[in-house]
This record gives sequence, structure tokens and C-alpha cells, in this order.
Amino acid sequence: MTRQDTTNGRGMPFRVGVGGPVGSGKTALIEALVPMAIARGHRPLVITNDIFTNLDAEHVRASLAGVLDPERVIGVETGSCPHTAVRDDPTMNMAAMEDLVERFPDADLLFLESGGDNLTLSFSPALVDTYVFVIDVAQGDKIPRKKGPGICRSDLLVINKIDLAPYVRADLNVMRDGAAAARSDGAPFILTDCLTGEGLPEVLTFIEQVGDLDGR
Amino acid sequence: MDSWDASRQATTPDEILTTEAFLGSLQLADSFFPSGSYTLSHGLESYAEAGLLDVDSLTAITGDLIRFSVGPSDGVALAIASRAARQGDLDQIAEADLRLSAVKLAREPRLASMRLGRQMLAIARDVFADDVSRAYLARVKSDELPGNQAVASGLLKAALAIPVREAVISELHAFATSCAGAALRMARIDHRQAQRVIRNSAAVVIAAGDDALERSVTEIGGSAPFAELMAMRHETAEIRLFVT
Repeated sequence: MTRQDTTNGRGMPFRVGVGGPVGSGKTALIEALVPMAIARGHRPLVITNDIFTNLDAEHVRASLAGVLDPERVIGVETGSCPHTAVRDDPTMNMAAMEDLVERFPDADLLFLESGGDNLTLSFSPALVDTYVFVIDVAQGDKIPRKKGPGICRSDLLVINKIDLAPYVRADLNVMRDGAAAARSDGAPFILTDCLTGEGLPEVLTFIEQVGDLDGR
Repeated sequence: MDSWDASRQATTPDEILTTEAFLGSLQLADSFFPSGSYTLSHGLESYAEAGLLDVDSLTAITGDLIRFSVGPSDGVALAIASRAARQGDLDQIAEADLRLSAVKLAREPRLASMRLGRQMLAIARDVFADDVSRAYLARVKSDELPGNQAVASGLLKAALAIPVREAVISELHAFATSCAGAALRMARIDHRQAQRVIRNSAAVVIAAGDDALERSVTEIGGSAPFAELMAMRHETAEIRLFVT
């Protein structure tokens, strides 16, 4: 279904912000979720925010060739300010979003990937309807305890690359405990491995539930 | 300064900068205002890539862009739009808007101006409850008009009762700030040099602003061929921090 009751009231698709530090796997997560979303009957769009170039957008297009029309992916340059682009002044992203939705009015789901930023990243509520914060085990198992708005207040915390845990001496139980302690009122977090798909159905189901999206 | 006096005479008696309008002007010129300008380098990223950007050349390039490009094009369009908005003359605004798009030769700045203009019109409608912007945005959304950023800014500044002269000059000042900000983020200057560049651009900002007040729709358009080429070169640049 196309959501008609979003904050801007303009019939936008359900907008999911995906933020997190550089290299935590934001692009990989989107690239893994999009085919699953399509298989469940959704019609996604993707906007990437890059610090340099359109590399993420090009990667998403290439990775999803044959799955998602490359025209449904837009890259936005952030003028060296990835955080500003999604929180303080989301003007250019809102423009890109309107462009995409105008061209693809069938869309019911839009992923908006932030440029890699630090643990304080958050999204403007005017830009997204929900946001997912992605960290990974290679950053150290103490990361959830460092808190920050992304870890504490995102709608969903994803702890990614769990397959690497043994190789970087990260204890997943420490990360689970840290995430549970940092996130109040039982706010959800999911451990994922984008290569094997572990945890990804749960992430998509979360998005469908908070977005009131009909899946198959 | 002569140009200052001339434009003073051109200012109508009701165009006094009230304290409220002054505050409005500060709000719009503030880098915190969501104009999206931090994503634009105005071609400076190409200058930097070509090894042509340092504090001295930045001052010169910024001044030249204001004098020969932004002032005579965006500045004039803003002035005309702002005057016409006071009279609710959407056709006159449209004429300036169309002309402005026609003289923006490089693709990236032309498209960015349209994208940011739409967003600014929406802000003028939603935050400042400006009916002229509301009506104009409807025509822009029907793809009848481009809705350039300078035009949108002119409408919003009229809604905030900012006199045309201050409207144009504050816009050109914001452009100088945007250039300095881009150079700062490209690590070509430091924060003190950035402030110096902005301060040193004041004279050209005032002169170009006053010149813009005297021009008609058919005179919208600048001439800065090298800067146009640098803006076009940006389209195919391998490394890009900025939209333009």
C-alpha cells in the first residue's frame, strides 16, 4: 500500500532512514533488504548520501541489477556534511525524494541511506518516518555502551557483520547486553549477517510493522 | 560609495528595513536556514581539483562570480521577483524565473537551483504562510515554471517585508559565505581565512547588489565563461563532495 498519512501528508511511501558509522554495512543492508522487500510485494526506492562521489548509489544499482530498476536509485552529494544532509538541513534529500516519488508513484517503501557518520547521527523527522541505526562487530563490542542518539534512540538498532565476531574478538553477548542497557523501554535491536541473510527477515518485518505495510 | 547612494534613491519610502524585517533577513541568511546551500560549491570543487583554489584565488573567484555571474543573473531575478511579489504579479515573477533558467548554462547549477527553489517555496508556504509562494509553487509543481532558488528567495523576502535592496544584498552575502564554506570543507582555507574572504567580498556584494536593482528582465544574465566551464567540468568529475 502507499502510505497516505505520513508526517508530510503528501502520499509519500514509507520512508526508512538507514544511518551509522562508515563501513558498518548500511549499503549492504539495503542491498540485501531490497530483493526481500520486492519478493514480499513491495516497490522500493533508494536514496544514498555519499561523502564523496556517487559510489554508494552506483554500488546499489550494480548490486541490484535485474532486481531493481537503476532509475529507482538516486545518489545525493552532501558537501562533506552527511549529518547536516539528513538532520539539520535535509533540503536536498527532500528534493531528491520528491523527484523519485514523482517518477515512481507506485513506490510504497523508500530507503534513505545516510553518509557514514559518527554515533551521534539522527534523522530529521521531516525526512523519514522511522530510522535504523547500523553498527558492526568490528568496531568493538563496547560500541553499544558508548550510546549516542543513534544507538539509544533509533527505532531499530542493527548490529551487523556478526560473522566477523570471532575474528575481531568481539563478544556478541557483550554487545547484546550493551544494546539492551543503552536502549530504553525494550527498544528493539537485531543482530545481522548480510552475507548469509541472518536477521534480515526480522529487520524487514520490523519495517513492515512500523510502516503498517502489507507484505506477502 | 556612489552605487550605495544611487540605490538609496531608488528605494521607495515604504521600503524601510524594520527591525522585524531585519530579523527575517538574518534568519534567511543564517547557515542554519535549510537552504541546502552547503551542498553546492558553485564550481569551486572543479577549481580545487585543477589546483586553482587557495585563499587568494578564492577571494578573486568569489568576487568575480558575484560581479559577473550571480549578481547579474540570480540577483536581478530576485529583485524583480521580490518587487512583483509585493504586487501579486505572478506573471512578472514567472518571466524572471524563465529567463533565469535560460541563462543558467551549466546543467548542475540549473537543476540545483530548481530543486532548492521548490523546497524554499514550500518553506515559505508552510513556515511563513506566504500566499504568493503558495500560488507560485502550485505553478512550479505543474512543471509550468522552473521555480529557481533566487526567485523563491525573492518571494519569501517580500513576504517578510525585507526591502528589495537588502533582499538582494543579503542573498549575495549568503553566496559569498557559501563559497567560503565550500572552500573550508575542501580544506583549502581555514576558518579565519574564511571570515576574511566573506568580509573582503562586502564591497563587491554591495556594488553587484545595487547594479542588480537597476536591471530589467531582459537584462538577466551574466558572463563568466571560465566559471561556466568549471561548473560543466564538475559533471564528470571522479571525486565529488558537492552537488555543483
